[in-house]
Amino acid sequence: MNIRALLSRPWIWGFAAAVLVWLIIVIISGQGGGQTVSLALSLAPYLVVVGLGQMLVITAGPGNIDVSVAPIISLAGFVSVAVTTSTGSAVVGVLAGIGVGVVVALISTVSILGLSVPPIIATLAAGLIASSVTLSLANGFTAVPDAGLRQLLNVRPAGVPLLAVAVAGVTALVIALLRRTIYGRSLIAVGQNRRAAERAGIPVARIIATTYLASGALAGLTGSLLAAYIAPSADLGTRYLLDSVAVVVIGGTLISGGRAVPVGVWGAALFFILLDGLVNLVGWSTAAQNLLKGGLVLLVLFLAGGGDRVAGTPSRFRRRPRPAAATTTTTGDNTHG
Amino acid sequence: MHVHNLPAEPFAAPRGADRGSSDRQPVVVARHVTKTYGRTRALTGVDLEVRAGEVLGLVGHNGAGKSTLMRVLAGLEACDEGTVTVGGRETSGEAGPRAAEFRGVRMAYQETSLCPDLTVAENIWVSSRHCLPRLRWRRAAGDAVRRRLGEMFPGHGVTSGDRIEDLSLAQRQMVEIARASLVDRLDLLILDEPTESLGPDAARSLYDYVRRLTAGGVAVLLISHRIREILSVADRVAVLRDGAVIADRPAAGLGEHDVLALMGAQVADRAGSGPAAAAAGEPADRPVMAELRGATGSGLHDVSVRVGAGEVVGLAGLAGQGQQEVLERLWRPARRDTKVHGSRAYVPGDRQRSGVLPLWTVAENLIVTAMRGIARHGLRRPAEERAAVGSWVERLSIRGGPDAAMTELSGGNQQKVIVARAFASAADLVLLDDPFRGVDVHTKTDLYRLIRHEAAQGRSVVWYSSENAEMAHCDRVYVFRAGRVVAELAGEEISEEQIIAVSFAESDGEPGGPPAESGGEPGGPSAESHDTRNRPSAEPDGARNRPDGARNRSDGAQSHE
Repeated sequence: MNIRALLSRPWIWGFAAAVLVWLIIVIISGQGGGQTVSLALSLAPYLVVVGLGQMLVITAGPGNIDVSVAPIISLAGFVSVAVTTSTGSAVVGVLAGIGVGVVVALISTVSILGLSVPPIIATLAAGLIASSVTLSLANGFTAVPDAGLRQLLNVRPAGVPLLAVAVAGVTALVIALLRRTIYGRSLIAVGQNRRAAERAGIPVARIIATTYLASGALAGLTGSLLAAYIAPSADLGTRYLLDSVAVVVIGGTLISGGRAVPVGVWGAALFFILLDGLVNLVGWSTAAQNLLKGGLVLLVLFLAGGGDRVAGTPSRFRRRPRPAAATTTTTGDNTHG
Repeated sequence: MHVHNLPAEPFAAPRGADRGSSDRQPVVVARHVTKTYGRTRALTGVDLEVRAGEVLGLVGHNGAGKSTLMRVLAGLEACDEGTVTVGGRETSGEAGPRAAEFRGVRMAYQETSLCPDLTVAENIWVSSRHCLPRLRWRRAAGDAVRRRLGEMFPGHGVTSGDRIEDLSLAQRQMVEIARASLVDRLDLLILDEPTESLGPDAARSLYDYVRRLTAGGVAVLLISHRIREILSVADRVAVLRDGAVIADRPAAGLGEHDVLALMGAQVADRAGSGPAAAAAGEPADRPVMAELRGATGSGLHDVSVRVGAGEVVGLAGLAGQGQQEVLERLWRPARRDTKVHGSRAYVPGDRQRSGVLPLWTVAENLIVTAMRGIARHGLRRPAEERAAVGSWVERLSIRGGPDAAMTELSGGNQQKVIVARAFASAADLVLLDDPFRGVDVHTKTDLYRLIRHEAAQGRSVVWYSSENAEMAHCDRVYVFRAGRVVAELAGEEISEEQIIAVSFAESDGEPGGPPAESGGEPGGPSAESHDTRNRPSAEPDGARNRPDGARNRSDGAQSHE
C-alpha cells in the first residue's frame, strides 16, 4: 500500500496522534518509551471494548447513540463482583455483568422501537435506571474483586498485556462481523439510508435491536473487567461516556452512520490514554483534561465535516462521500482496517 | 417588485408570423462543451444554441448528459473545456448559482428545488431575493407567485402561505415552475421534465403559458421523455446521445419514431415483448401468489386484487388513487384482508430517498437483498455474490461496472441497479412502485423485457405505474380511482386509451382536475352509486369486469383454503 492510500484511510489519524503524544511524553519524562506503551496497552482495551459497542450503535444511522454505557459499566462492575463473591466463579461474575448490560439495553431497545423514543432519550432513561440500582447496591458494598481475574488482567508477557491481545482478537471479530456477516452488512445499509434498507428487505428493527443489545453487552463486559482491574465504584464508568463517543468519531467512523472503522477505535483509544498520561505528567486537573478532550472531538468533527462545507462540496456528515471517501468505498468494504 | 413587469412585456411583443428561427438572437450558446465526473464522461463535446423566442426541445436517454448540460447552461457548474456564451458575452470559468452572467437563465427542476419546511412565498425569496424589496418581501413574493401561478395554472389551489411539505406532488411542481420564472429579466427558462407530475390539464395550461412567454422573446429549453409533448410544443428538437448533440432538427415534420430512432432506442414492439395472449386469457387457472380481499381503510375502499404465479399485474389510474397503498399492504401484509404466499422484493420509485445506499458501490447496492438468500448461517459467500453481481451488471449493461460508486452513476443506471437488486433476490413476488418515472426509453425497454422474462420463469410482479403506456406489458390491469378498483382489464383490452377512459370516466368534461375532485369526494355510498351509474355508459369493459372480480375472489378462496 503506498503512502497516499495509507493517508486516505480514516483510521490512520488516531494512530498518528497517539504516536505524536507518545513522543512528547518520552521527551518530557526523559524515560524509555516502552513502559509508557505497555501501560497504555493495558488501559486502552477497556475503552476499545466499550468503544466498539458505541461504534456499532453510531453506525446504525443518524440519531443513534448509546449514552447508557457509563451507568452500565458502573452497575456491571458491582453486579459482577457481587456474583463472583457469592458463586466463587469469576466467569459467572463476568457473564452476570454482561447480562446486566443486555438487560439495560433491552429497556432502551423497547423504548426506541416500541415507543419510538429518540435513542438519546431512551438510553439516557435506561442509564438513569441503571445508576439508581448502582447507588442502592453501592450502599454498604463490601465484596472485593476476584484476585485470580485481577492477576490475569495484569499479565504482561514481554510487556504486552494479555487483555490487549484478547481485545485485538475481539476487534478482528467485529471487523469480520461487519464485512462477512449478513448482520454486519445490514447494519451498514441501515446506517446509510434507513428507508432504502427497509425497502431492500432488511429487517431494520431487528438490526437496530441487535445493535443496542450488543453495545449493552460490550459495556457490561467492560464494567466487569474494569471492576476486577480497579475496584467497583459508583463512578467507575463516568469517563467512558464522552470517551466512547470520542474514540469512535476520532477513529474515522461516520457520525451520520453507514461507515464503521473498528481499527480506528484502537488508534483513538491509545491516543486518549496517552493523552491522559501526558496531562497527568504536566499536572493538569481533571477539568482541564475534559476541556481538552471535548475540544479535540469538536476539532475532529470540524476537520472532517466543516472544512468541506466551506469548500462548497457536501459534507461527509450529509451522507455523501467526499471524493476521497468515494475512492475508498470503491476499493472495498466500509470497514476499513 | 420588478417581476411584475415580466408578463406585460411578452404579451406586448407580437409574434413573428414566420417561425424560421435562424434570424433570431442566440440567448445561450454552448461550443464544444465537455464535462467529466470521476470516470464518467458526461459531456463529450456539446454544440448547442438556444435562440430568443423559441422553444427548444431536448431529448435523450438518462445518462446521455441532459442533466449535466442543463447545469452547465444554467451556470451551476463550469464546463471542463469549451465555452458557454450568454447573451453574447462569453462567461468566465466561474460557475455557481450567483454567477452574474447567468442571472437571466432560470431552471425548474424535475425533483423540485424547494425547501419543504418553508412556505411558498419564502421559497420565492430564496431564489429571487435580488428582485424583491428588503422590507415586506413576504407580501411582494406572495403577490408575485399568486399572480404567476394564476397565469400558468388556473385553479392550482395553492396559496402563498402554504408550506411546501403540505402540497401535493403536482402542486409542488407548479410552484417550482413558477419559482423559476419569477425574475426581473428572464432570457432562458429551462424546464426539466415539467409535466412528469402534472395532470393533463395543468400540462396544457403550462404549455399555453410557454407559448406566450416565447412570443415575448424569451427562450425556453424543454426537456422531457414525452416525445409527443416535445414535438407538439417545440420549434426545434435537439437529440443528445452519449454526451453530444447528434441531431438538431425543426420539430415540424418530425415524427415520434424518428426521434426515438435518433436517440438510438430500439422501439419496443408490443407484439414481440408483450404478454402472451394465451396465458392472459385464463388468469383463474394460475395458483394465487397474493391477494387483497375487500381491503378497506388507509385510503382503500373494498379493494380486491388477485395476483397469480407468473403473472404481471398492473395497478393503473391517476396518481395517488390508492395504488401505492395496495403495494404497501402487499409489502407488509399485516391485516387479515391481505394474503401473500412467498417472499417479496420491492422496487421503490423515489430512488434517492428509498433506493440508493450512497456510500456503497454498484455491486454492494445490487446484492444487498440477494445476499440473504446466498448466505449460509448468516455468513456471506463472496464468490457466489460476485458471480451474481457480474451476471446482472452484464445483463442490464450497467455503466461503470460493479466497482463504480453508486453516486457516480446517472439516474437511469442507478435505477437499473435498484431493479436488479429486487430481481437478483429469490423473491416470488416483486412489487414495482412506479420505478421508471424519468428513465429513458432505452433503459425502459430493457427493463420491460426483464420483467416479462422473469414472469415467464414463474415470478409474480405487481406493477404500479403512472405511465399508462407501460401497462401494455401487463397480463392484467386494475384501474384505481379514489381508493377503489373501477375496472379490471386483461390481455387485449389493456391499452392506454382504455385506461385513460376508465380512470377519467367520472371526471369527463370537468376540467377542474381529478385530484381536487377526488379530494372533495365523500368516498361513501354516494360515490359508489356515482360509479355504477356512470360506468356502463362510459366504459362497458369496466362493467363486464365486475363479475370477473367476484369470480376471482371465490376462486382464490378455494385454491388456498
